[in-house]
Amino acid sequence: MSAVAIPAVRRESLWSKAAWKLARDRTGMIALAFVLLYMLVAVGVTAGWWAADWSEVRGGKWEAMSAAHWFGTNLIGQDIFARAVYSTKTAFEVGLVVAVLATVIGAALGAVAGFFNGSWIDEVLLWLMGVLDSIPFYLFVAAIVFAMQDNPYAMHIAMISTFWTSVGRLIRGEVIKLRGLEYVEAAHAISVPEFVIIIRHILPNTTHILLVQATIMFVSAIKSEVILSFLGLGVKDGMSWGLMIAESSQEVMAGFFNNFLAASVLMFGLVMAFNMFSDALQDALDPRKVG
Amino acid sequence: MSGRDQIPLLDVRNLTKYFAVRGGLLRRVVAQVRAVDGVSLSIGKGRTYGLVGESGCGKSTLGRAILRLHEPTSGEVLLDGHDILKLRRSELIDRRRRMQVIFQDPFASLSPRRTVAQIIREPLDVHRIGTAAEREERVIALLDDVGMGAEIRDRYPHEFSGGQRQRIGIARALALEPDFIVADEPVSALDVSVQSQVLNLIAGLKKTRGIAFLFISHDLAVIQHVSDEIGVMYLGRLVEHALVDDLYAAPKHPYTKALMSAIPIPDPKTKRSRIILKGDVPSPMNPPSGCPFHTRCPDVMEICRSVVPATINVGRKDLPHHVSCHLYS
Repeated sequence: MSAVAIPAVRRESLWSKAAWKLARDRTGMIALAFVLLYMLVAVGVTAGWWAADWSEVRGGKWEAMSAAHWFGTNLIGQDIFARAVYSTKTAFEVGLVVAVLATVIGAALGAVAGFFNGSWIDEVLLWLMGVLDSIPFYLFVAAIVFAMQDNPYAMHIAMISTFWTSVGRLIRGEVIKLRGLEYVEAAHAISVPEFVIIIRHILPNTTHILLVQATIMFVSAIKSEVILSFLGLGVKDGMSWGLMIAESSQEVMAGFFNNFLAASVLMFGLVMAFNMFSDALQDALDPRKVG
Repeated sequence: MSGRDQIPLLDVRNLTKYFAVRGGLLRRVVAQVRAVDGVSLSIGKGRTYGLVGESGCGKSTLGRAILRLHEPTSGEVLLDGHDILKLRRSELIDRRRRMQVIFQDPFASLSPRRTVAQIIREPLDVHRIGTAAEREERVIALLDDVGMGAEIRDRYPHEFSGGQRQRIGIARALALEPDFIVADEPVSALDVSVQSQVLNLIAGLKKTRGIAFLFISHDLAVIQHVSDEIGVMYLGRLVEHALVDDLYAAPKHPYTKALMSAIPIPDPKTKRSRIILKGDVPSPMNPPSGCPFHTRCPDVMEICRSVVPATINVGRKDLPHHVSCHLYS
């Protein structure tokens, strides 16, 4: 930060405090290890290190687990393990894109609404959130997917445009609280421009909410992706756990469970680990909890 | 003592701040809270004007309205004869350099995620004063002025006690070298032992830098200690104003008398009749007709219930003592 030669004092920022608290939370750290493992798998798929042959036909119909095909093969002889691994990338991509964009949009619009609380800007934004919230989610997604024929990001757009409202409302409430605090008044008194006040003095004090909300949305996005893909509204070109489960709907009747189990177990593991990590993060970032 | 012919640094005329209470589906204005109701006062260069009153009487709102932290409903605020309420936002930025504020709660007045140096530097950055290196030096000098060392510059507010935080807040207010500071209950949240340190710091600044203060407090002992003159506020109005010795020696308004009688005397042999006020402060949403104090006044007369008393000077012409009460008209 600063290069002025001042005797070094041990600096304990609020962030390093939270990081220490998180590091001492054993469940949280185990969950984080799992999340990182999944992430590594996803990165490897993106880089082409593994599962690049997920779409190739490499065996017979419904082969059982073996050394060659760890989870067996599907109806047309594709390797289920490769497909499940490849789907991890899809899940991460959907989760990250939706979580990051929905958080950014929610934070920005929520902060503006809260800062201009009581004015027409706030009214318009609240009205917009209310309208988006009142449309049933799957109906809304279906409408967007049909309207944006063949666009691979239709699902992402649908999720982002509905998920941001919950972040927006939380941030709006927090900003209304922060706006009345004396350090914001002090910033007004020294004529800090309003835009700078929002960016410098208000939003940084909402990051604990944003981080936790982003992890929650990451999980919801993955779950929604699975359901949407199952319904045929999600991933179009590529593979996802939802598509695998959709595929398995015929196989399960015939007594072949590999597709279903591989997709469900991998998704369960990621969602569970991320939920537990998000809980630990919430505890660590809560300044009222001493740990 | 300031001469009579001197133009006051700050002249507040008939300042009013109403807050609209909205209700119903259409958010229509259903009532007005008259937080500040036609207050006039003036403060000379380097003088300290103490403002006392119960909580909720509009003291803080008055301070914030003068600084335009709350936009006043009507009235004038003249700084060196120029009305700052007529300035556009962009013009106001320049004037703000001359008026600053110190807040009551030292735990809420410093941004928790910014270092001490960042907090004190911010006014210099916003007003583009000096080069980066000069600003750094200035921060160190300001910390020194409020009795703190340079080594704390990279620490965060939560690492300090209330008194230390209040010093940091004062350093921020001093950064722009203002002529006038609104001190909004600057010591109310501090321990008594720390209060005197901060009060001495403020008194020292007044002496060395000639800064004028509007010192808001509900503590009569503190206000007597720091002020040159005192205004007593009740329900959004100034009911009495005089030089400090004059006011404490001979309070005129029944409300001021009641306040004075509540000051403990550290002598068990001294007996004094204590005036106990009946009831609570009326709601500023629905203030009483006539004199706002008539519902609790021990000397209430018939006229008080219907006619708002005018402010008159009961002191000498060169030594004014203003009071708004029918007992003196």
